[in-house]
Amino acid sequence: MIDVTIFVNGQTRDATVAPETTLLTLLREHLHLTGAKLGCDVGDCGACTVVVDGMAVNSCLMLAGQVNGRSVTTIEGLATRDRLHPIQKAFEDSGALQCGFCGPGAIMATKALLDEKSDPDVQDIRDALSGSLCRCTGYTKMIEAVQEAARVLRSEARNQITHART
Amino acid sequence: MKAFGYVEAKDVAHAVALLAEHGGKAKVLAGGTDLLVEIKHAVHNPELIVDISQLRELKVIAVADDGLHIGALATHGEIMSSPVIQTMFPALVEAAHSIGAMQTRNLGTLGGNLITCVPSMDSGPALMALEALVTIAGADGERQMPLAELFVGPRRTSLKPGDLLIDIVIPKKNLDKPAAFEKFGLRKGQALALVNVGAAFFVDKGNFREPRIALGAVAPTVMRAPKAEAFLDGRKIGAEAMAEAGRLAATEAKPIDDFRASAGYRRDLIAVLTKRALENAYALANTLAGKKVSEPVS
Amino acid sequence: MDDKTKVVERERLDLDEQLRGADFDLRLPATVPRKPFPIEPLTVDARQQTRAVGQRATRPDGRLHGLGQTKYIDDLSFPGMLHARIKRAGIASARIKRIDTSAAEAMPGVLAVLTGKEIPVNSFGPSLQDQPVLVDEFVFHAGDGVAAVAAVTEQIANEALEKIVVEYEPLPAVLDPVAAMRDDSPKVHAPNSNIYASKMIRKGDVEKGFAESDHIFEDRYSTQMIEHVSLEPHAAIADWDANGRLTIWATIGRITLARGDMARTLKLPMSRIRIIGTVVGGNFGGKNEITQEPALALLSKKAGRPVKGVFTRVEEFTSTTTRHPIIMDYKTGVSKEGRILARQIRLVLDGGAYCSWSETTLGKACILAPGPYKIDNVVSEAFVVYTNKTMTGAMRGFGAPQVCFAYESQMDDIAKALGMDPLEIRLLNAFDEGSPSPTGQVLHSVVVKETLNKAADRFGWREPRS
Repeated sequence: MIDVTIFVNGQTRDATVAPETTLLTLLREHLHLTGAKLGCDVGDCGACTVVVDGMAVNSCLMLAGQVNGRSVTTIEGLATRDRLHPIQKAFEDSGALQCGFCGPGAIMATKALLDEKSDPDVQDIRDALSGSLCRCTGYTKMIEAVQEAARVLRSEARNQITHART
Repeated sequence: MKAFGYVEAKDVAHAVALLAEHGGKAKVLAGGTDLLVEIKHAVHNPELIVDISQLRELKVIAVADDGLHIGALATHGEIMSSPVIQTMFPALVEAAHSIGAMQTRNLGTLGGNLITCVPSMDSGPALMALEALVTIAGADGERQMPLAELFVGPRRTSLKPGDLLIDIVIPKKNLDKPAAFEKFGLRKGQALALVNVGAAFFVDKGNFREPRIALGAVAPTVMRAPKAEAFLDGRKIGAEAMAEAGRLAATEAKPIDDFRASAGYRRDLIAVLTKRALENAYALANTLAGKKVSEPVS
Repeated sequence: MDDKTKVVERERLDLDEQLRGADFDLRLPATVPRKPFPIEPLTVDARQQTRAVGQRATRPDGRLHGLGQTKYIDDLSFPGMLHARIKRAGIASARIKRIDTSAAEAMPGVLAVLTGKEIPVNSFGPSLQDQPVLVDEFVFHAGDGVAAVAAVTEQIANEALEKIVVEYEPLPAVLDPVAAMRDDSPKVHAPNSNIYASKMIRKGDVEKGFAESDHIFEDRYSTQMIEHVSLEPHAAIADWDANGRLTIWATIGRITLARGDMARTLKLPMSRIRIIGTVVGGNFGGKNEITQEPALALLSKKAGRPVKGVFTRVEEFTSTTTRHPIIMDYKTGVSKEGRILARQIRLVLDGGAYCSWSETTLGKACILAPGPYKIDNVVSEAFVVYTNKTMTGAMRGFGAPQVCFAYESQMDDIAKALGMDPLEIRLLNAFDEGSPSPTGQVLHSVVVKETLNKAADRFGWREPRS
């Protein structure tokens, strides 16, 4: 067994797990964060996507030991008591979530994209979503949702700057 | 996954010592995008995982006296966003970008991709066209060899148990060599190559000099196309010469029929992609030379 | 009247909000000030509209999906819950000589092992009951389950599967559906014929139609097997309690049908079975029937604990239903102007090892095979046959996409041979308002031509092409 300390959604969490435990299993079974899903278990579908140190990764393809001491953001870390994250709101409003199973992964992939690039073009968005397979709605609404979320986040960032100046 | 032991390597020496101690029963975890899938499917049942994924010294991308060094643990994502590589070798950025999807590119490493030794690997052709060298750390110390010598057969490298690929070097003489990468898959994202091609050559008074063409997914390993290279060497650069090189390359390859494509279709792809790679390398040469040309090939 | 309606509606909305408010309150820890989470009220636009058509509706469950709070089966767990895995045959056709589960049963952490012989009625299916839960005597396709294990972890369950010894006597496998129809073919479910359902539609006189035709086209089209690939794999939890009552949480779209199949296989009155269909992570027709549920129920009964089973992605491909591959022979007679005078169709559906929803698929494919065209003389016959392959069943369209591929391909071929525009030949033959279908149904609201014309205009079909 190995001891793992990770910073999940801003909180320090410890766990003692078998070495073969994946990050996905650590999150779902040990930390009860079931938002990331097991879809294919081989890194193709993206349903297990979480953000590790700012990068979107397939949590089914990382061992828990590899994230020891690192920071992990999951879908549960986006909304606050006060409000939905703009990406979640945009996905909800655009109808980008049908059965919803790919949703948390697609939203986390979007989070990583928008953290890196605040004004992505459609090609950037397609590229970022290409690792999140959706079998229901397809990608048109998802792309609209990402564009909308990017708009909202940019305008919030502008408002914050204005606010800081005054 | 079946149970295994896990050790996080402190440095290269530690990793090599662990591999020497456990031999074939240990497996090296770099990006994990292939290894963990293979363990899940019981292709490997290692007793010990030597995790080198956190060794920062193997992630360095920098130019040194002997050429451009890319640490074996540089991820495809890191290669795509490296200013050095973006400037010098856009072909490597293209190749890295064509692998998997964002999530896997953030995990998968260059060294790991080369070690898989699958014929369709996207990291191989451009590096081979640039005559890259690989540095191996083993029980007897470090040694260097051409990348081509790493590849033995499908999923078979020349590494011995206990060897660790630590560095990839593009030799100094090729640092300003224009190179291009072309790939064709069944989809634009997350697709294995039906054929991929790397091409590089110097422009010498309007002629090809030291042309190098490497083909992927059309032979047991990534292969060079010597006949096509010999045909081009010293010849005047032109569309017809590039097309002929493509046709020659298609005759040299040994593609197979499988559920993704027929051998005949792959041969046609080789001809087209080789020509395109040569055109793009030439366009890059012109850009590097500072003279923008509207017609890429005269 | 109107005012009264409004009042009622408002009251209902108020009640709705109250209930919702109460629901939010329940979610909050006691120490936190009572305020709803999230703060913006969830408004369901469609419900507030008296005229829903033309309005954009927000999915009521979209918010939970986006928050990652939707509970799919694999997100549920219960105290003491065990994990089940099923050993797959890995051989297309065989007689089972021996199954030895003793080594698996002896493993620490393994609480129950189940084989097909222990299942009270080892057959189920929506129309023909030909599918065993776990095969006991014969293997019918490589994805068949031969034994199931419940253990404290999935890892132990997997290791236990490796310790189960099964001895097979390989039998000849039937893989080609056309060859399967011949009398001398081995029988998948001996002594029954491999052809397990058929249908024929006749209209007019095809021989007369062919005699009057200027050109006759005979072509064969075929499609491949397709898996639904729902992102969420098939998953279920079974809990057989001490009162002899069974609760199943499952990724099943048709819970009533599933209840019937569970009652049959377990020989249990329906009143003792409760099936909870949870939010399904993609169905597309692939989650319309039970799969592993009876096995999980019996494992739960044996172990006295809840048991969860989640298929691997490989099992999704090998052991759940798929779309029928169809071999489609089309003989079409046309006048020199391009009018279809007769069409004779023969469809052979590869049914795989079990019937599942094949009869429904067969019917739809057969009826729709002539296409949306006015044809006076039609024969459409369809057969579905057993082969030793993954079973085929329901998938979006029930056979319609396959025959559409065939008749539209042939329309293009005919147009090309006659030197006609592919659009014109369709406009010439397409259904009109009041046209009879091949089965004699008079069709209304027919807009085939309008649709074709509109689409052609949108993408500039009639503009000069280079």
